[in-house]
Amino acid sequence: MPPRKLYFENVRVGDELPAMAKSPIDRVQLARYAAATNDYNPLHVDEVAARAIGMPSVVSPATLGLGFLGQLVTDWARGGQVKRASARFTRMLWPQDTLVCKGRVSDRWGEGGRYFVELDVWAENQKGELVVRGNVTLKVFYSFEDETRFRTGQPPLIVNVQRQSILAQPPAPPPARAATRGKVSAARPPARTSKPARAAKKPAKAARKPAKPAKKPAKPAKKPAKASKPAKKKK
Amino acid sequence: MLDRAAVGRTTPPTLNEVERGAIRRFAEALGDYNPIYFDAEYARASGFSNVAAPPSFPISFAAGSDLRELVGVPSRNLLLGEVSFEYERPIVAGDRLLVTSRVAEISDRAGPAGRVEVAVVEDEGRDEEGQMVFRARRSYVVRATRES
Repeated sequence: MPPRKLYFENVRVGDELPAMAKSPIDRVQLARYAAATNDYNPLHVDEVAARAIGMPSVVSPATLGLGFLGQLVTDWARGGQVKRASARFTRMLWPQDTLVCKGRVSDRWGEGGRYFVELDVWAENQKGELVVRGNVTLKVFYSFEDETRFRTGQPPLIVNVQRQSILAQPPAPPPARAATRGKVSAARPPARTSKPARAAKKPAKAARKPAKPAKKPAKPAKKPAKASKPAKKKK
Repeated sequence: MLDRAAVGRTTPPTLNEVERGAIRRFAEALGDYNPIYFDAEYARASGFSNVAAPPSFPISFAAGSDLRELVGVPSRNLLLGEVSFEYERPIVAGDRLLVTSRVAEISDRAGPAGRVEVAVVEDEGRDEEGQMVFRARRSYVVRATRES
């Protein structure tokens, strides 16, 4: 059966990946993973050595959880290629931990006939605690037609799609948000009014950054950020 | 204690032949039975030039770099905090990759339980023509040890 493909045109920001539950991690899996990665760190495979340094048992390599997230993504992406993947490990992984992997489309964009989908992914253990979270950038074809063109050596389908991160929206203070929705960023400098209402992710980040150093001494994260924003717009 | 002088220390390139069996065993260890890791024809129909390697497969190359030699602390005293990969193209069975690891950073950071030592190691894998295939970045923190 030919594989079904994931195409850009069918992906929307906010789409959720089907949650994936893994079987409990056991010591056999740790042994197999040690062999597969050629990493025989005693902490992962030698119960006696692990207890000797005060651990309750062997501990799973953190990267096993990353591997699970890779499975979540690859199952969903169906032929999409992973261009970037990053992960932060927030909690130790133990034998008998049962992970559920989840993900959500956080952004998508297309430029020059190349199409990308960005995902937030994370895994929780049986207690609902976050054990790893990360971001993945996938490269996909725009559509079946785009893929066919590629396979027959024709130039790609070009549809320019701006980044449209949902992450860029929550930090915006409510009044500004309303303004952005109603009319295209009325509070912004006139030069910018032609820009689409949805804040592009990267530019938004870049715009926030300069505001931060100035506020740094004040420290608290949320309020100063909010306060600094309208201030910036008044300029 | 991490070796402060380690920054910039680089391993000589190590040849990693990406074998089909190694990919299969890696995927099986994850419990991931996606046919792109097992079936070359299915992988080709999915757009890969051969059986593909799972995204976290470069973890298995890292074992070539002895962390004690690189940063002065053995791996059992290091906790992996963050990792990232960047691919120029997918890694597939049959690839012959020359992998080097370099110590990018040694520093102190404020952690929840006081200051922690951090070591960042960057890996890159190139094919035999010298074309970049992947880059990886691993951040470790030094585990507090009871004996000290």
